Formats: sequence, structure tokens, C-alpha cells
Amino acid sequence: MTAAPTIARPANPGSRRGRGLALRLGAIAVLLVLWQLTATVMRNPTFIPYPEAVWDRLIETSTTHDGVRGYSGHLLIEHLGVSLRRILIGSVIGVAGGLLLGVVMGTVGWIRVVTEPVVTFVRALPPLAYFSLFIIWFGIDEAPKLWLLSIAALPPVAVATASAVQGAPATLVEAVRALGAGRWQVTRDVVLPQALPEIFTGIRLAVGIAYSSVVAAETVNGVPGIGGMVRDAQRYSQTDVVVLGLFAIGLSGLAIDALLRTAEKRLIPWRGRA
Amino acid sequence: MSSSPELAVSTAGAATPAVRVREVTHVYGNGSAAVTAVGPIDLTVPAGSVLVLVGASGCGKSTLLRLVAGFERPSTGTVRVAGEPPRPGHSAGLVFQQPRLLPWRSVGGNVALALRYAGVPQQERARRVPELLTRVGLRDVARRRVWEISGGQQQRVALARALAVEHPLLLLDEPFAALDALTRERLQEDFRRVTAETGRTCVFVTHSVDEAVFLGSRVVVLTSRPGRVALDLDIDLPRTGVEPDELRGLPEYAALRATIGHAVRSAAV
Repeated sequence: MTAAPTIARPANPGSRRGRGLALRLGAIAVLLVLWQLTATVMRNPTFIPYPEAVWDRLIETSTTHDGVRGYSGHLLIEHLGVSLRRILIGSVIGVAGGLLLGVVMGTVGWIRVVTEPVVTFVRALPPLAYFSLFIIWFGIDEAPKLWLLSIAALPPVAVATASAVQGAPATLVEAVRALGAGRWQVTRDVVLPQALPEIFTGIRLAVGIAYSSVVAAETVNGVPGIGGMVRDAQRYSQTDVVVLGLFAIGLSGLAIDALLRTAEKRLIPWRGRA
Repeated sequence: MSSSPELAVSTAGAATPAVRVREVTHVYGNGSAAVTAVGPIDLTVPAGSVLVLVGASGCGKSTLLRLVAGFERPSTGTVRVAGEPPRPGHSAGLVFQQPRLLPWRSVGGNVALALRYAGVPQQERARRVPELLTRVGLRDVARRRVWEISGGQQQRVALARALAVEHPLLLLDEPFAALDALTRERLQEDFRRVTAETGRTCVFVTHSVDEAVFLGSRVVVLTSRPGRVALDLDIDLPRTGVEPDELRGLPEYAALRATIGHAVRSAAV
């Protein structure tokens, strides 16, 4: 730990944040204009839909129109909700499993030797590769989807946790041992807290992977669900709905990551100070 | 700083020395890569004394301290603390060169953790934490984050934490070396007062001759690798009732500084 009692802050954080926001909004505006231009030049809405058409689809899928409720009988928000629920359950199971496995891998040498190649093997597989197997095993309803997301979310957490637990700074471990801490106390008071920042990075990665896998998982019997919606839209060449689905997934992903980052700041105020 | 009686440690039982190091050597590595860091060395520290180990960098003084703390085992010979083989956390309090505080705990939380390991019940911990912090010259910092206080204050917290566990022996490994000169001087003065108040036995490692003379009741100069005793000197300066500046101005002080400084320089060759 350095002797510096405080970290220098920018002179005016408010104006800096304002500039960042302006920059982002500007970038989005530029992208929209480019999109509109490309769509106008291409003149082929099945290939590149107009931004306006996507907006219309947003309204249409979020309301009941001519007796049709949303898209495929579900509102957009319901599709998104179902997908988010799957991501949540899959991530929670995967993160819990990854944590447990990571701590054991980080502390027990022979278990690490045995499990490390397995975890790396699973991590290298694209989730779709083992999805077929889960469908054979668990059918086509919720179970294979949740299995897929859990298994996909587990390795990054396990790897991050194991490396963080193994990398506990000897200086701090020695310091609490000198105060009379036993093995369990060292784990509880030093090894786990110091591992939290790295574990949290693993959790953010895991949620990201669950996110990117959910659309794949919902290609089989995925309605309601954003993935199911996108797949159906692709079948009927409704490119604007496909794009809308991508936006729904991407924007909610941004929101979830922002949430995780806020949680991280509150839970781990010492990040970067140790 | 008020002296609280329950923090004072009895110095009775002078028959068993606080620390006894007998024919100890310590070798790092093995085969042709083996390096003898320490010894052979013999050292006895009577209860209640403040022994300062001085020597150039790499003379094995930190290794010797780690042997006494029980973090390392001697390659040959025996180390005894109060007649027993040392065990980390059970034989001595320890202060390192870096504060080594836990950043996920508040300042007070770091001290409370030491009390918790010592089996002090929670209610008493809440009372003892501010008391211990006051003892090392800190006020109103218990709720602060570790990185919000200065390096000197952090080192004071580390000292309070080591004092919390009431071992009769306190081991310090260059605790003030990383601090600026002014902060170091103030901490030395406070440390001198705290040791005089508590009567704890201390083994204090430093490379500063001035620090050795100022803090020690006895100074041992170690030779360069392997570390052996080059000079063993009792410091007959008044332990209490003297202002630090007055002490530093005494002619005996200057004479001791010269003698020890000379010994350190010739031992380093």
C-alpha cells in the first residue's frame, strides 16, 4: 500500500461527466445518421431496414394491434423478461458453482490439477456445441436452456476465483497469521476479501457470456424469449424485428453491466487500493 | 497518552529469558545454490529489554527476526521464546516495514480483528479499540478507511494491532524505515514511551544507527552475510524522564553513535 492518503481527483468531475455524456450522445446521433444514409442508398429494407421501421416495430410489438398481441402473442417486454429471467437463473447457478469450484481449485492442489483442464476444455467450447447434447438429455423446454447458461457462466468465475485465491498476497496472510489467525480465519479475513475484485470481474464476464448464449439457447422452442422472437423474424424475413431484438438484448446488457459495476463500487470500495 | 494498567505486561519470570537463540544458522536454498543467511549465532534477550539488531542490508537481520517469530525454522540450532519453540501468532506480536493493514476493514476494524483472534469478546473489543489507538497517538480515526490516513498513521495502527495481542514479546522489522524523517522521529519517540510504559520485551531490527541508540537498551551489530554478532553493547542511557532532544544532545549519545556506527561500517565489509 502506498503512503498516499488521498487520490488526486479531477478538478471538476461534474463537467467531465457532462462531456462524456455529450460525446456518447453525439456518437449515437452520428451512427443513426449513417444508418439512415446506408438504408436510403441500399433501398432494400430486407437487407438493411430503416431506423424508422425499427421504431415502428418497437411500438407494434409493445402493444396489441388488430387483435394481435405484440409479436407471436407476447409483448416485446415479455419476450425480454423471459430471456432476462433465464439469464438471471443461469448466471446465479453458474456463478455459485464457479465460486465454489474456484475456491476449492485455489486451495486444494490435486483438485486444481484434475479440474483445470476440464474447465479450460469447457471454456473453449462454444455453448451451442453442447446445447445439442443438453436437448437430447433434458428435452426442449426450460431445463436445457438453464443448463446451457449455467455451464457457460461457470468457467470464467471458477478461473478468476481460483487464480485470485491462489494469488493471495503473502504479506497480508503473514500479517494476520502473526496476529494468531488459523487456517480458516486466514481464508475468511484475507484470502476471500482480497479475491473479491477479481471474482467480480469473473462474474461480469460470466453474465456477459450468459447474455450472448441466451439467443442461441432460444433458437429451439424459444418463444416467448428474445432469441425466439429473432429466430421467427428471421424466418419471415422481418429484418426490422431482428434488429429490434438485437437492440433489446444489447441495451439491456449495457444496463445490467452498469448495475454490476455500481454494485462492485459499493461492495469493493478498496479496489485498486490494496 | 494515558497508561492503562491492563495493557502493561508483567515482566516477572526473569529466570527464563524472553528469547534464547542457540547456535542457530539459517540456510536458503540447497546444493550449490545454498546461501547461509544467518549464523552461527547465539543471543539471549532477557525479559523487559529492548534489543536492537543493526546491520547493513542483507546481513540476515530480518531472517533472524523471522526465525524468532516462528515464520522460518533454523537449519541448525534452536530458537526458544519464553522457553518454547516459537509459533506464529502465539509467541510474539509483529510489526513489519509496511503496515500490512487489511484495506477491506476500517482502521478500527483492523485493530478489532487482532482482539478477536485473541479471544476478546465483542463488547470489550469496542471499548479496547479506541484505547489502543489512543495509546499509539491516534484519535478519531477508527471509522476511517485505511487508505484515507497517512503512511505514518497506518504504521501507528499496525503497532496498535500488534499491541492488541498481549504477547510479552514484540518483534519489529524496520517499522519506521519507509517513513519520512519527521514522521519517523515522532514515531520513535512515541515507541520509546510505549515500550517504557508497557515493559514489553522488544526485538527491533533497523539499519539506522541513530534509531538503534535512541530506542535500544541493548544494541547488537550483525556482520554481513552470514549474519553473526559483531558487537553487543548495553545502552546506559536513561529510559524515562528525559526529553528526546535532551537525550540526543547527551555526549554519551554521540559517543555510542560513533562506536556503533564504526562497528556497522566495518561489519559490512
